[in-house]
Parts: sequence; structure tokens; C-alpha cells
Amino acid sequence: MKENSIASSHEPKTLLGSKPVSRREFISRLALGGSSLVLLTGCSRWVFPEPGATAREKIYEYIAVDYTKCTGCRTCEAVCSAFNNPVSVDGTMIPGPGNPALANIFVHSFNPDVSAPAVCARCADTPCVNACPVDPDPATGRRAIYQDKKYGTIINDPDRCISCGNCVAACSADSVGILAQHPETGRPMRMCTLCDGEPECVRHCPYEALSMIRVTDDHSFYRMSPEEIAEKLSARWYDFSA
Amino acid sequence: MNNAQPCGYYKVLLDINLTTGEIKKIPIPRKDIENFVGGRGLGMKILWDRLKKPGIDALSPENPLMFMPGPFSGFPIPSASRTVVVTKSPATSPETSPYPHASTVSYSNMGGFLGPEIRFAGYDGIVITGKASTPAYIFIEDDRVEIRDAKPFWGMKTDAFDKTLIKELNNQRFQTCYIGPAGENLVSYACILHTTARAAGRGVGAVMGSKNLKAIAIKGTGMPNVADLPAFNKSLNDVRGVFKGITGGLLTDFWRKSGTAAALQVMSDDGLMAVKNYREGTFDAIEKINAKTAREKAWVRDFACYCCCLACKKSGVIKEGPYKTIVHDGPEYETGVMFGANLMISDFNGLMKAIYDGDDLGMDIISAGNVIGFLMEAYEKGYVTKSDLDGIDLIWGNVDAVLMMIDKINRRDGIGDLAAQGVKAISKQVGRNSEKFAIHVKGLELAAHNIHANPPRALCYATSNRGACHLSGDNIAHQNFVAAVDSLGLCLFASDHNKWMLPGISKSKMANLLTAITGIEWDADKLMETGERVFNLEKMFNLREGFTRKDDSLPDRFFTEPFTMGPEKGAKLDRGEFSEMMDTFYKDRLWDPKTTRPSIEKLEQLGLEFTI
Repeated sequence: MKENSIASSHEPKTLLGSKPVSRREFISRLALGGSSLVLLTGCSRWVFPEPGATAREKIYEYIAVDYTKCTGCRTCEAVCSAFNNPVSVDGTMIPGPGNPALANIFVHSFNPDVSAPAVCARCADTPCVNACPVDPDPATGRRAIYQDKKYGTIINDPDRCISCGNCVAACSADSVGILAQHPETGRPMRMCTLCDGEPECVRHCPYEALSMIRVTDDHSFYRMSPEEIAEKLSARWYDFSA
Repeated sequence: MNNAQPCGYYKVLLDINLTTGEIKKIPIPRKDIENFVGGRGLGMKILWDRLKKPGIDALSPENPLMFMPGPFSGFPIPSASRTVVVTKSPATSPETSPYPHASTVSYSNMGGFLGPEIRFAGYDGIVITGKASTPAYIFIEDDRVEIRDAKPFWGMKTDAFDKTLIKELNNQRFQTCYIGPAGENLVSYACILHTTARAAGRGVGAVMGSKNLKAIAIKGTGMPNVADLPAFNKSLNDVRGVFKGITGGLLTDFWRKSGTAAALQVMSDDGLMAVKNYREGTFDAIEKINAKTAREKAWVRDFACYCCCLACKKSGVIKEGPYKTIVHDGPEYETGVMFGANLMISDFNGLMKAIYDGDDLGMDIISAGNVIGFLMEAYEKGYVTKSDLDGIDLIWGNVDAVLMMIDKINRRDGIGDLAAQGVKAISKQVGRNSEKFAIHVKGLELAAHNIHANPPRALCYATSNRGACHLSGDNIAHQNFVAAVDSLGLCLFASDHNKWMLPGISKSKMANLLTAITGIEWDADKLMETGERVFNLEKMFNLREGFTRKDDSLPDRFFTEPFTMGPEKGAKLDRGEFSEMMDTFYKDRLWDPKTTRPSIEKLEQLGLEFTI
């Protein structure tokens, strides 16, 4: 396996060009760059539909994981938690100490060794939002959990949320399964915030395994659970029984 | 949350008595935190406090088994991932002592995710005493602590058990550590494993086995508080920067590429490696088992411990031959030498299989390789016969014979029962001056660093407080430094102990972090003094057990049998020079060179009056 993968470089824009690429084109460009294996998970923000694009060709900005580079160190968990759980010190909010239990990205580790970071997919068809039983607000049209227009992030309205857990169950059934109920409030947690458009996990990953890349949503790892990803990778890397 | 200083601690130990089933949270005195910090240091203080008299059997219920993270553990400090297992050693013994069960302290250090998780669960350490009446495992989820039945798992090998336990817990986020059959069978050099390949070795697994304790599973959601968060964030950024170049990329490619296995080629080339039971320092077939070969033949992936920038752990699979499909991490420096060069094994896939078996059964591969190397030499010399070895043709380089020996040691079957007691015990049984090539200090087997041409490492082995240890420091300053790093929960590899070659965290950067976390002023000197305090406390423990200067000696081989090949051909240690070096060492430490006892003055200076 080559060490230097172009796709996980921190300069995806220059390497992939400014024009969004289709999955096939994306993979073929990777192939030119070497035999590196870049798999995408935790797709993210809906950007804009190309004129005349079909649903399958919608272009997304993804937090992509290069599994050949990820070492399972969980730095992403700590920096995510630190940024998204700031602490007030003398009236200023600063990053917290980084408790990984409060992170919105979770690295799942398996035996044989596979580490699969999981993060909210901000799915276009929002199974979590659809599962919410709270009536849409007549003014905004929002349920107690809704997709924000700006980044496509999923947001919970704590005032209207009835802590039923339907959104969590839907995420588990139809998507990554990252959402969880807060142990005390019962409200959904671990929705990726994209850190105001500059994800801390991408910025701080020591191994440059995480990056924001624009692709279409029809790749094979889309919305897969960490268990399914691990099974696939395990077969690819460790299975020499054939 | 307790906001009283020192911050950064819960000031709480989880105390579990497996005999009575009693589970308590006990407070840690502020003075112990300030003087011994955590990890190895705090563990040693607790060991001293708990074992009030010498000669207590390490495998008795009284011996506390401790899992000690440090004050860095749980914070996203690069490589603050270590857990130190502290206990009284089941593997060491003095030449003479009034106490039949006399042994040294033991501290063994593993990476991964366990130490941080202990702190997430709300504890600064776990102390386990007693003995469960039937096999048990300890379940910890924050405040919820249970002693659970492990009867269905007793006898399971570690790889299968690792998978089974996670299934049983039904949550991937639990961190687990466990023993294999070797620990259950009280092999004196059994180890405790975490993630199937990260291990606390040097015998601590036998102590766990003696308690009928198969595993610990732990998960937590908390985090210790920080005294000065802005300063902590600043120091953390500073420390993260240590590992990065100007363009932001990591400077730690060395670790990522080959891990400790990078040293296989280098140490052989320099004549510093344990080869053929320490007879030579250079292995002429090293290319067949070095990191380059491992990368070509087995390694698939690289892994890091909690928030670590090094990724020295490898993961591989055997792709061909009779052991095809076995998944394991393959040779590190220690495992590659002790089951490879030291046994003259150059069959890479055979070596992988031996390493897999050693880890799967839960035995310390350093000691196991040393023991088998000794038996190979004794067999070659005719000191033991094929029938002594239950029919095994234990010749140099014979992989199948080694695999059979590993299995016998684990089951304590035939010759394996003796071999499970370590090289010192075997040599006593074999007799005929075989102690000249029984390569141990105080009963603990030497590691993969040979010393004919390396006097500082010879001093390290001779004076280390847990018996022959390659990681305890080659001189006084280094010994104190290592003890301090081991007390913080930090990995030695991420420190700047090798700063002329590799990037790392300096003492003053460690002190900055510790000051920010605890709210107590720390500097580099105070940190080093803490290391010295820990080292001296360990020494006092060993002295109380009856260890003397005679026990700080090395096997004859290093003085009498020079290398016959390699760049250091002809090298051997000089007895006079060695003895002089040791005298200077004791004097510089303000210890009595005759008895090795620290002077009252030194003990008082370090606040160790309670040991006098």
C-alpha cells in the first residue's frame, strides 16, 4: 500500500480541481495517484445542485476518511469535543479539555485492527428529521430536529424536543448510527456541527487521514455503519484465505 | 467535581477486594499526589504502604495489583496513553534472603487506551487485592463497578477472548485488558494484554492469574478538571507542534514506517543485538526478519495509541505458507529479536507465528525467547538431552520446536513446567555452571539489547529495580527521567530522551502541562527529583526484601565470551571497569557502594524518611 495518497492531502481543491467530480472520475483520478485506498464516510453538507443534475448526482462536501492513513488515535474525538464543548473562562468561551465522550465523531476500533471513524452524514433524505413526531412549526416548518439550510447540519430544538429517541433509532436503522440520546435529557446528540465550516477533526488529524472533499453521494460507503465498514476493510486487508 | 487543588486528579482510587467482593473508592492523600504524581510513582507508594513487611508471596492474595494512569492520562496530550501495572514481582528473587518469597517491585507499562479510560471512568488508579473464589472479571462503567463471572472464558486465548468479551459487553467503546492461559497457569513471565498485542509484561500476568482475575472491562464518560485551561490549551498546542514540521506534516515518519522494528537492522549492524542466547551481537540473516521484510510480507496497517503522533504499532497478516491467514502485528524490536535473532530464526512467517502464539497465550516474549534460547544452548552443549525436552529437537532456528516449547510452557507440561519458572530456575535445575549463560539479573530475563559492547546498557540492566530491564535508564539522570515520565502517564517514545534523532516532548514542556493541569508549580528540576524519589523508593523496597549488591550483577557470559563476529568482534565487558562504573554509580546516587543502601541524607532530601 502506498503511503502517499493524493486524496488525503490537505489540498484537495488543487488536486481535484475546483470543479466537483463524480465518484467514478474521483476514483479513477485516485488510481492515477497510486494504489491508495480512499474510502468515504460521513458525507456531509449539501452544496448546490448542478443545473440539470439528478438526485444521485447531487454534490456533497464530505468528511472523507482515508482508512489507509487513519491510525485510530482518536485525536479527532478530543479536538471535536474541545471545540464543540467550550468553557467560559473569565467571560470568554475557550475550547474545553476535550472529553471524547462528548465528541460528535467516534472512532470505532475492531479486532482484527480496523479503525472506523463515524460522523453524522447529514443525509439528504434526513431519516432522523422524518422520524420526528413533533408537528412542524407553522412559522418555520421545522420539527424538533431539522436540517439547517446553511451547512446541511442537523439541529435539535431543545425547547420542542420530547426526548422520544425516534431520530436516534432512525439514524441507526437507515444511516451511520452515530446519533445517541443524551443520558440525562434524552435529547439527540452527536450531530456534526462542521465547526462553522472548518472542521477541527480535519485540521488536527495528525495523520492527515481526514479531509473535506466534494463528491456525489453514490459511493459504496455512503451512510454505512462502522461495523459494516470494518467488515469490508477487514476482508480487504486481512483475508488471505482465498 | 472536586475543585480543590491539586486539580487534574479525582484524588480517588478504586479499591477492589476479590476475596470479600468489597468495592470501595478511597481517597489519595494530597501529599502522595504531590510527591509521587501518578502512574509508576504513585503505584510504588501504594505498594510500599500496602505491603508492610518483606517476603510476602507475589502470588498471594495480599499482593496488590494496580493499574495506574498518570495525571496526563485522559487529556489529549500526544502519547499520554500509558497504563503502568505496579505490583510485587513474581519473576524476581535475590541470591540470598531471609525471606523465601523475597522479590523486587514490578512496574510494567503498556500503551493503548486503557489508562485514559480509567480516568474517564473517574479514577486515578485501580488497586486489586484478594483472590476470587472462581474466575471473575471486573466490569466498570463510571460509578457502576461489578465483579462478574468469567468461568465461561477461563482458558480462552487472548485473541478469541478479546472478540468474545466485546460481544458480551455489546459495546465497542469498552476498553479491556486480560490474561491468557499463561497467566491463568501462573507462568512466572505471563503478561496482561490490551487490544491483543499491547502488553504489560515481566510477570504481572501471573499476579492477575493468581487472583483468578481474567479481565477488566472499563468505560467512562467523565474527565478530570484542569486548573488553568487557557494555559493548558497553550501548552497543548505547543506540545502538538513538537511533532510537526514547518509545513504542518508529522516529523515522526520513522515510527510510522517501521515502529521499533526499525532497530532490528541497526542494532544488528552495530553489534548491539541479542543473538544466539546473547553469544553474539550481530545476526547475519537479519535482512530476512527486519522491518523492510515485515512491510513487504505482512504489515498492512499502522496504529497509534490515544492521541499519539507516532503510530509505532503495526498490524499484519501472514500471506503464505503453513501459517497463512494469521492476523497479528508482527515483529517489534523486542519480539523480533527474542523469538528471531536470539533463537537464530530467520523464517519470517515462522517468527510471525511464534509471536502470535506468545501473545495469544499471554506470555512475555522477552522472557520466553530468553528461556528458549537458554534451553537451545544447553541442548547444544549436551547439558539437557532430547528426552529432558520431552523429545523436542530444540536446535537453533527450529521454528516447529520453538512453537512446541511455547505450547508446553503455557500448559506447564513436562519440561514446560520448569521452563515456566524462568531462566534462573531452569539453570539451577540444569546445574553444571550453566548460570554463566543463564541471562538474567535478579531472576528477570534480559531484553533484546546485548551488552558486550554497551556498558551503559549493562549498568541499566544491573541496577534496574525490577530486574533486568532495558527501559529503566542507562545512567542516573536517565533513570530519574524515565521514572518521572512513567509517573505522568506519558510514553517514553514521545519524550525527547532521544532528541538528537527524534522529536519529543522536553522536561520543561511536561512541567508546563503539569502546572496548567494541577495548579501546582512544576519545573524540569522538580520533575527529575520526583523521578529520583520514585527510583529510591523502589530501591528501599528491594533492600527490605533482602537484595544486596551481589544481586546487581551480570551473568559471566558478558565478561568471558567475546563476540566472534560482526563489527564488535572481540568485544566483551571488563570486570574491573564494570565494577568501577557501578561504584561510581552508587556514590553518585549517594548510596553505600557496599550495601547499595541509599544514605539517610539522600532519603531525607527526597522525603522518604518513612522508609528508614
